[in-house]
Amino acid sequence: MKYIKKDLGSFNLHLIKTKKFKTTTIRVVFHTPIIKEDITKRNVLTDILLQSTKKYDSRRSLTIESEELYSADISTSNHRLGNYIFTSFTLQSLNDKYTEIGNLDKAFEFLGEIIFHPDFTEKGFFREEKLDIVKTNTNVALNSIKEDATGYSLIRASEAYEKDSPVSYRMIGYQEDLDNITVESLKDCYQKMIDNDYVDIFVVGDFDSQEMVLTIKKYFKFKKIKKKKKPYLLEAKKCRKRRLFAKETIDNSQSKLAIMCPISKLSEYERNYPLTLANLIIGGGTDSKLFQEVREKNSLCYTIYSMVNKLDSVFIIMAGIDRANFNKTVDLITKNLLNMKKGKFLEKDIQTAKEFFHTAAEEVEENEYRMISECLMEEVLGLPPLKERIAKMNGVTKSEIVKVFKKINMDTIFLLEGVKNEDN
Amino acid sequence: MKTIELEGLDISAYKETLSNGLEIYMLPYENKNNYFITYATRFGSDVLEFEKKEVKTKLPLGIAHFLEHKMFEQEDGIDPFTFFSNSGTDSNASTSFDNTQYICYGTKQFSDNLRYLIHFVSNPYFTEENVEKEKGIIGEEIKMYQDIPDYKLEMELRKAIYHYSSRRIDIAGTMEEVNRITKEDLHTCYRNYYVPNNMFLLMAGKFEKEEALKIIKKELEYRHKEELPNIVEKEEPKNVFKATKTLKENVEVPKIGIGVKISTKGIKMKPLELDLYLNMITTILFGSSSEFRERVRQKKILSSIYMEWETITNIKTFYIMATSIKPKELIEEIQKELQNIHISKNTFERIKKVWIANEVKMIDNMDSTINNLYDDILRYNEIIPNKIERIRNMKIEKCNKLIEQIDWNNKSIIRMEKK
Repeated sequence: MKYIKKDLGSFNLHLIKTKKFKTTTIRVVFHTPIIKEDITKRNVLTDILLQSTKKYDSRRSLTIESEELYSADISTSNHRLGNYIFTSFTLQSLNDKYTEIGNLDKAFEFLGEIIFHPDFTEKGFFREEKLDIVKTNTNVALNSIKEDATGYSLIRASEAYEKDSPVSYRMIGYQEDLDNITVESLKDCYQKMIDNDYVDIFVVGDFDSQEMVLTIKKYFKFKKIKKKKKPYLLEAKKCRKRRLFAKETIDNSQSKLAIMCPISKLSEYERNYPLTLANLIIGGGTDSKLFQEVREKNSLCYTIYSMVNKLDSVFIIMAGIDRANFNKTVDLITKNLLNMKKGKFLEKDIQTAKEFFHTAAEEVEENEYRMISECLMEEVLGLPPLKERIAKMNGVTKSEIVKVFKKINMDTIFLLEGVKNEDN
Repeated sequence: MKTIELEGLDISAYKETLSNGLEIYMLPYENKNNYFITYATRFGSDVLEFEKKEVKTKLPLGIAHFLEHKMFEQEDGIDPFTFFSNSGTDSNASTSFDNTQYICYGTKQFSDNLRYLIHFVSNPYFTEENVEKEKGIIGEEIKMYQDIPDYKLEMELRKAIYHYSSRRIDIAGTMEEVNRITKEDLHTCYRNYYVPNNMFLLMAGKFEKEEALKIIKKELEYRHKEELPNIVEKEEPKNVFKATKTLKENVEVPKIGIGVKISTKGIKMKPLELDLYLNMITTILFGSSSEFRERVRQKKILSSIYMEWETITNIKTFYIMATSIKPKELIEEIQKELQNIHISKNTFERIKKVWIANEVKMIDNMDSTINNLYDDILRYNEIIPNKIERIRNMKIEKCNKLIEQIDWNNKSIIRMEKK
């Protein structure tokens, strides 16, 4: 694998050369400081851009074209990292060796068409009828939000944890913002994204670098050169002195528990090394403390795990439980976190966590999407290459992990309480 | 060891069958640094009752899934999850209607992990205490699935389509049945179905095939072929059990489920060929580039859609599940499509092109490849060496003939509405 980064003025081009795949994958990533009211607009925007373009007047004709290009799949996504919203357009196409000469070039041109040539009316706005289609579907998604009870419990827990902070923003969007979107405001959102967002383009595959630079320059033209101002990292929230218990009922059989913990005053080193291991030890997988104690020894749940949001300095524990076991489960989790703070875990646990990190790192280059994500995270967090990080991770000591655990404190305990009467 | 060259994909698979009937499938990759191993038995929730030596045994519902959970108990006290974790290797297991599999995947200690995977699946350790302990965990798992509206819709659709098939029942069973499972029940299932001639090993990625085979032979060659019991089941009738049903559930936006039940008796096609043609028909009718999808998009009556085919003895069932703010109109559109099936030559050839491209793309992704090979082994008892050629050779005339042979009106329709 060979990585080359090129600053092309208006955007950064990241070329990841590898012979591992029969495909070439390209991801165009826009990012800008997140504004709550713009999230819904961004979702509608990425959706409407896939409904039609100047050249292809319907979603069907777009899909047929991607099929004709030997199944050149296109997808989009919006997600938040710290203070920023990231909007991605991804395309994967087979290399010409497996199709015909010129196919890959056409596929890139096709992605360029989707991003740069929207299906505008003569007045230069999106089409009302397309906006209606997208709004109807977004509306359904917003209305169905509780169908994913785990996801919903995390949203509600985040809102209880720190209202008004990006941590609590719903990436699915908001009904009132959806209602306010017009073809004009959407055009404005599109233009701002193209003109003002920071842009990174990632390409993974087996290609000639010089030729690839020319191809990218041909189909992806951005004008402005932008300088970053706002930091990526969110300031860690100050932990409440008394834990907040929040609750909402749902007509389900199972209850979902979500515990939010701010991590105070993390150093850069702690954020990227000991914290990763701390998370793996307490709730990373089937061998973790929480899985073993809460599920295996006490039969209180089927799922339990922890996760870390490095850029937000938040540590989260999730579990699916019976509401009758709420207190017992919270007590057990509290006890386990306390044990970690006291250093009641073994060198062997650290070694296992290091092994998992090492395996995950080795697997990165087996998946083109993971390679891109990794590369993006290195940019955002200013991390050294993976090889260096593996070496550094191996050097993390128990006292460093204990020190990080001591910075993790329970702030908000949210229960999405399933109140369905089981007799019915 | 038999070499199976996967045509057009620059890679070969290998197959060996031990004298006790255990099948071993290997797909070594030269350019990967990770691996994936699955050890599977053709035993899942489909077995509700079996007969051996004229003795019939009825099983509690959900026992195959319960057994999968309990295989992780070991007499030496070592937790298999912990064993694999020591080398940073992930492990898991899953139960389906017709199989149960135990998997591990990672980048290190291939030989030790292969040996241990075989070891732990070969050494059950059930006690009254550890069987009881599992009931709370499984109870939460059952509840978790029951709270997912799409899952419930699919279960209710199966209940409408089938009269007797085990597919009417949740893989994990019911809490009432799970509560009466004993360690003796688990031993009965294990003895009868976790036998070499009912199991197979499949592995892909970075490993030495000779070394892998040596380990497997050492660990498993001593085991004997066993007589497999006969499954006791009533023949499933051709017609659907219930044509329509409406459910009141915890959903804001209505959902619909349609299941077309097709008898395969009288259709003269081999299993793989039949699956390819059936899939082709429904992809052209309802797939992402279909006229249907564009029409319902314009009418704003489709928000999400999911489709799949299911096979049981002599029956194929096509499922469509969708979310729609206007369910009645969507059902009408789907019915209209099924009543007048027309396939154009252009579309037929384009979908073939897409499928061939997807076969080539998939081989780079080991997870997808292994899932695909796993399904082929279960369905067709082999790895298909020339899938691309088989897709390329598909003929529209055959497709049209098959369309004629099928009663597309033999269906169940479920509606799920807000309480």
